[in-house]
Amino acid sequence: MIMPEFSGDDAAAILAERRYHAIAGILETVVTKGEGKWTYTDILDHVFLHRWLGIPIFLALLWGVFQFTFALSEPFMVMIELIFGWLGGLAEDGISNPHLASFVAGGIFGGLGSVLVFVPPIFMLFLALSILEDSGYLSRAAFVMDRLMYKLGLHGRSFIPMMMGFGCTIPAIMATRSIDGEKDRMITILVSPLISCGARLPVYVLIAGALFGASYAGTVIFSIYLLGIALAIAMALIFRRTLFKGEPSPFVLELPAYSMPTARTVILHMWDRSKWFLVRAGTIIFGTVLVVWFLSAHPWEATSGGELIENSYIASLGHFLEPVFRPFGWDWMAAVALLFGFLAKEVVVGTYGILLGVDEASLGESLVSLGLFTPLTGFAFMVFVLIYVPCVATIGIVAKETNSYRWAGFVVAYLVALAFIVSGLIIGVGRLLGFS
Amino acid sequence: MTDFSIKTGKMIAIYASALGVISLAVGLVEILGGWGESIPGDLFGGFVLAVMAVTYLGGVKRASHGRHEGLSFIIGGLFLTGVFGVLYLLMMGADGLMYLLGEAEALPKLADARPAIWIFILSLPLAYRVRSLTTRMTW
Repeated sequence: MIMPEFSGDDAAAILAERRYHAIAGILETVVTKGEGKWTYTDILDHVFLHRWLGIPIFLALLWGVFQFTFALSEPFMVMIELIFGWLGGLAEDGISNPHLASFVAGGIFGGLGSVLVFVPPIFMLFLALSILEDSGYLSRAAFVMDRLMYKLGLHGRSFIPMMMGFGCTIPAIMATRSIDGEKDRMITILVSPLISCGARLPVYVLIAGALFGASYAGTVIFSIYLLGIALAIAMALIFRRTLFKGEPSPFVLELPAYSMPTARTVILHMWDRSKWFLVRAGTIIFGTVLVVWFLSAHPWEATSGGELIENSYIASLGHFLEPVFRPFGWDWMAAVALLFGFLAKEVVVGTYGILLGVDEASLGESLVSLGLFTPLTGFAFMVFVLIYVPCVATIGIVAKETNSYRWAGFVVAYLVALAFIVSGLIIGVGRLLGFS
Repeated sequence: MTDFSIKTGKMIAIYASALGVISLAVGLVEILGGWGESIPGDLFGGFVLAVMAVTYLGGVKRASHGRHEGLSFIIGGLFLTGVFGVLYLLMMGADGLMYLLGEAEALPKLADARPAIWIFILSLPLAYRVRSLTTRMTW
């Protein structure tokens, strides 16, 4: 008998196929089917996993998730804005020490408050994703995307960590341990930061809400998320053809039966995934915002107690960085916001809150009225935030999972380069089309 | 061999065709920029309606032959109609809340309802019929 030679990946696929064949054979002999030929799971899978309709349905539902996230969180954001505005006013009127009053009103309520306003959209996003996951649909999404990804020479399992990346990139990168092939795993780690995490959502909600209005903000945010997925696929393809040549390993996925999500489990999942935002708000975001406030209010005499921000340390830093971003139509404030956003993306919003010195309710309005962004430059800024360096914690986990600081450095370098290229293209093409 | 009666299948198929054609027409109008105040221009909203329409229409033929394969597309269409109908209703509720908070000029009116809401309401009788047809199914 001639034994065929298999590569490791082929052998795994053949073993899995034989295993399922054996299971099917055993089931046939021991299970008596009931009168219903089809279950709801069969019926729904027939359409949700359909060759042509599967991906459009997935895209439609994803768009629905972002409409849900933006439109439904708006009134709750207004409520939080009103509370922080009231607290800020109370601090300014009630604290006699000007240093302390500036710190509490500008640093705590202005900076941290402008970040906490985004608790509702983050909770809404995870509420929607939890419903999709608990119903059993999210694994189907990975399945339908697998077909497309495999045709592009990518590993289907890569899409599951990528989808986890909608929440946070760190668990997404850790989840790549489930990928068998080392090359597939490395590719997934390198492209995972391109999937837009929840920390970037406040930036999108602020800028899209201000520049595109409530009617289109959800669609604009959806397009940013789609762009992230498209870039991740494109970069994975480039890495597959250059750094990690070879065929992707086979993908075997067990699909759970559909089930009706219960309110309790959905809320628990939502809370589990969203609480990191509150934890970060109380730690790294709070700390960074305080540094930003200190740099914006000092030297105390030169800034007249934080009133003349142009004379502050942070303005000097911003003006130093500004030439790099000026071709994109962004000023020194954007440069500073992006710099501090390296620590945590939410800080981009907090930095604007402090620099503009307005309450949360007026932050978006100020971005427009001060002419800091046009729809074109604002869109390019959101894309830059999507792509440029992941947060410090993500870089740490890349170094840990790849066991190499060189790969972590590579991730930072290629993402910064890609951010400049893609945002530059958006600005260039936009201006050619007549947008300002 | 059929999975359910052809008479029932034909009735379901006719109703689903009507929903599919309406969704497709409204979806195309939304994609092409809208029509007056009743159908707003919305590229992705129109895309969703078009997907919904294709899902309905994809099951019409086999449902009219009494086949489960056809019914699955119609249930998929009903599912999408339900998801987006409820989503737009919630969005109208959020607009109402914005008015109460002083952030909107007026309460949303019935005329502001997105066409997907009307399609959702139109789909309820079909959803009821399909539900009664599939009650013995298990998850």
